Amino acid sequence: MTELRFRTFRDLPADHLLGTGTAMCAGCGGLEALHEIYDILGEKTVIINAAGCMTLLAVYPFTPFRGSWLYTAMASAPAGAQGVRDALDLLLASGRITAAEDLQTVVLTGDGAAYGMGLSATSGAIERGLDFLYVCYDNEGYGNTGQQSSGATPHGAGTATNKGPLGYPGYKKDLFAIWAAHRPAYVATVIGAEPLDLARKVERAMRLKGPKLILALAPCPTGWDFAPEETVQLGKLAVQCGVWPLKEYRDGTVVHTKVPKQRLPVEEYLKRQGRFSQLFVPERNETVLVEIQAKIDDYWCAVERHGQVEE
Amino acid sequence: MKTASRILGTAFFLEGFEVQDAPRYGAERRGAPISAYVRASHQEIKERGIIRDPGLVIVADETLVPMPAACVMQGVGAQTLLLIHSLENPQVWRDRLNLQGTVLTLPSAGETADPMAWRCIGAACAAAAARLVGVISRDSLGSALEQELAGLKAALMEENLGRAHWAYDLMEPEQGRVVSGRLLPTGPFSSPEWVDLQYEEARVSAPAIHAAMTSEQVQTGLWRTRRPVIDSGHCKRCWWLCSTYCPDGAIKVDEAGLPEIDYAHCKGCMVCVAQCPNHAIEVIPERSVSRTAVAGKDS
Amino acid sequence: MRVMLTGNGAAAWGARLAGVEYLPAFPITPQTEIIETIANWIDYGEFDCRVVMLDSEHSMITAAGAAATTGVRTFTATSSQGLLYGMEMLYTVAGWRAPFVLVNVSRGLASPITLEPDHNDILAARDCGFLQLHCATCQEVLDSILLAFRLTEDNRVRLPAIVNLDGFYLSFTREPVQLPSEQQVAGFLPPFDPQNQGFRAGAPFSQAVAVLGGSAYSYFRYQCHLAALNAEQAFSESAALFSEAFGRSYQAVESYRCDDAEVVFVMMGSFATKAKAAVDQLRAAGQAVGLVRPLLLRPFPVKAFGRALAGKRGVAVIDQNLSPGYGGILHAELAANLYGHSGSKPVLVSFIGGLGGRDISSEEFFEMAKITRQAVADGSAPPPRLLYTGDELREMKKWQAIALQQSGRGDQT
Repeated sequence: MTELRFRTFRDLPADHLLGTGTAMCAGCGGLEALHEIYDILGEKTVIINAAGCMTLLAVYPFTPFRGSWLYTAMASAPAGAQGVRDALDLLLASGRITAAEDLQTVVLTGDGAAYGMGLSATSGAIERGLDFLYVCYDNEGYGNTGQQSSGATPHGAGTATNKGPLGYPGYKKDLFAIWAAHRPAYVATVIGAEPLDLARKVERAMRLKGPKLILALAPCPTGWDFAPEETVQLGKLAVQCGVWPLKEYRDGTVVHTKVPKQRLPVEEYLKRQGRFSQLFVPERNETVLVEIQAKIDDYWCAVERHGQVEE
Repeated sequence: MKTASRILGTAFFLEGFEVQDAPRYGAERRGAPISAYVRASHQEIKERGIIRDPGLVIVADETLVPMPAACVMQGVGAQTLLLIHSLENPQVWRDRLNLQGTVLTLPSAGETADPMAWRCIGAACAAAAARLVGVISRDSLGSALEQELAGLKAALMEENLGRAHWAYDLMEPEQGRVVSGRLLPTGPFSSPEWVDLQYEEARVSAPAIHAAMTSEQVQTGLWRTRRPVIDSGHCKRCWWLCSTYCPDGAIKVDEAGLPEIDYAHCKGCMVCVAQCPNHAIEVIPERSVSRTAVAGKDS
Repeated sequence: MRVMLTGNGAAAWGARLAGVEYLPAFPITPQTEIIETIANWIDYGEFDCRVVMLDSEHSMITAAGAAATTGVRTFTATSSQGLLYGMEMLYTVAGWRAPFVLVNVSRGLASPITLEPDHNDILAARDCGFLQLHCATCQEVLDSILLAFRLTEDNRVRLPAIVNLDGFYLSFTREPVQLPSEQQVAGFLPPFDPQNQGFRAGAPFSQAVAVLGGSAYSYFRYQCHLAALNAEQAFSESAALFSEAFGRSYQAVESYRCDDAEVVFVMMGSFATKAKAAVDQLRAAGQAVGLVRPLLLRPFPVKAFGRALAGKRGVAVIDQNLSPGYGGILHAELAANLYGHSGSKPVLVSFIGGLGGRDISSEEFFEMAKITRQAVADGSAPPPRLLYTGDELREMKKWQAIALQQSGRGDQT
């Protein structure tokens, strides 16, 4: 792979391409990731969006995009990307548009679509080898409707549908592995709080042809119940506690791009979020806390055992 | 404000009124301006939706008042009592808004940038309204508060109750100042100017935008109650962390490496304040900023 | 060239002659033959088009709308459960004003699941914003696809269109079909002109953005209505051009032997030709009976129906569909459109028949004509009638006896 454009923080864009004035919540971790991603993708893109928080990025007559956008529905954004990509290819092949008029097809959805309703359409697009980039802002619940549990909700988190003392009883689905099992061109996890890692991955994805996923954990002040100014701090903790491993799937292997040297206890991450407060008050739920920590430890043991760490 | 409308609605209900309360969502986003309304009557309420001729308008965020886009003053007429959560004198607001009707202010507990103070604002507004309408007893208000705030943790509940009763007491001299609404006169009325919609081609008549970045015309700066201010003396011109992290992309960096906050769009999340490695960004209450330039870049 | 083609074959030829460039596909009986035929032509180099198999009809309609919005001529096909699986996207892509043609092969809807046709599938899509053309013969299938592409791409319309044909009775039934030459078609249907719309670098275009509030919503939704209304005029113009190019004439509402008819049948789809056969027999017996059949159902051809029914004294509406709790859908539409106009009105008699492909016999047509004449004489219509015989019920009872048999298992212990 040729030399990457983003080596240090100073290589990160100081000019931003995504327009301001959107209706995302103050401190939205998803918007933070999106604007960092859009800075690198640029305006030669058509964003194909599924129902979710970011449905309201564009509200008539206001759009934040320099390029194009197509709103589809919750389940079928990858199919929309298929139609646009195929049509652009046909137009290019017949000379009705020039290469300079071509666009990258980018799917943008939340975890509700990516982990659940849109999974069939996504799997189909990957198996067809569609040349597209899928960007998922994962705020671990149906955020746009008030944070009900989704397939991305972590164990023990309180949601609008899990208000009891045990929180969500299920476990977060491994979308990274589901994608990797399809053997696509590229899969990466990112977070807005680590913009350099994010920029490198988006750039790498842009250079590859085929299906690519950028899966961004999106700290959500509204749905996770923390103060908006802590979005970045919480994102960094997600990485430092090992909750959100930053990694890539490329050339058939998984590589971790930022391994926390001294992993912090997961409690540091959990206790800052209202959605996990039932694990601490009125009394500590030792069983669940130990279980969550053990799963993280197991994960990182396996990473070391398999040597899935960037040199 | 949704909670405030529910508290007031329940209090009316406990007093034996027929009641209607509802929030009006725009983007349905935390931090975005929101309004809610309450109707109460001894008869069955048949009207629905926005109140066109309100007897009482309560403004929790005074910085929204001068902004036409926030539509705070919509429907405010001579019959309307306007209550603004503000430290300023009511006469200042009357003059500023050139109003004929009554204006009252509900002062804050203290000049503060503490966001926690905002957690009680709904209860305080509802309690003030309960006194102003003059037909809600302290008991009914108390029961309504307990019902509607039942999900809160004990300490926050206490704080809310305290603020509510404080506001209820504070408004005692103005008890019953709100005038009941009247039915629209049934005589001559002005006909709606209905038009025959004509076909326009699909490029125009689909919900499509053939332009870039028009969202910049939306002043999300209205959402702020506090504003981050960069101290250029302390700013070390780092690798523009504040600009990168700003979720909204509302911080631009000039050629000299100095970041500048776009107050027309900054929503006041304070991520920049939390992340500035040199602590060069401070927080000031929005109300302390020149009111003619609340959301503008020209602060 | 006149050849033997099934309805599905005619649909495939319609798409091929229209020069469609893109076909997102998903199989479903009784439609599958359409996409198989086109895919085979492509594989053997007879036809240049891109076929993509999607994971569902919901995805398929999304891809079709997206490709049409990007600027290529797009065709797709489905049936029944598939049409309803994609229902969300039917409304959505109509709102995009995406011009493409979808063939629906009508089939009864579950439950119970079945394969044979009725019109509840296509009528469920009645209000989505797609234009609807309902075919009665295999020839009409081919011709309607060419007409539909002209309509959908007309700048006064720009709404997607559905061409409907009945499963089995057309889809798998061969009839002689006149195949026009490519040159003839080229004279009738020019290449798709996307009118500078589409996703292109340097031309920012945000399509299908959200609205807040009822005013913007009302405007956009009503514009779909105005566009659909324009399609009636566009249809008559296109039909005139079609007649010149191919020598076959179509009208939004077909009147068969109606001129002096006192009583007419109203039907749509392939069963309407059975009604024509009955009309011929009744005429031979000296009865003034005709058939009125909408080829265009959306936009609803109000004036054409008005003309077709003017002076008629009795109308037997035979609905091959059922709206539980109301009855026949076409009956409701006709009743609504006859009301509010001056002049005498015919007596409308409602019949429900042909559900799930159930046949309608000549005797049943004769009986419906008789009942309708009686209603004219009485000046009032009898209650709606389901076409269902005692023999059918006796057979049903035999099956029920088996289905409701006590299990022997419990007795063994």
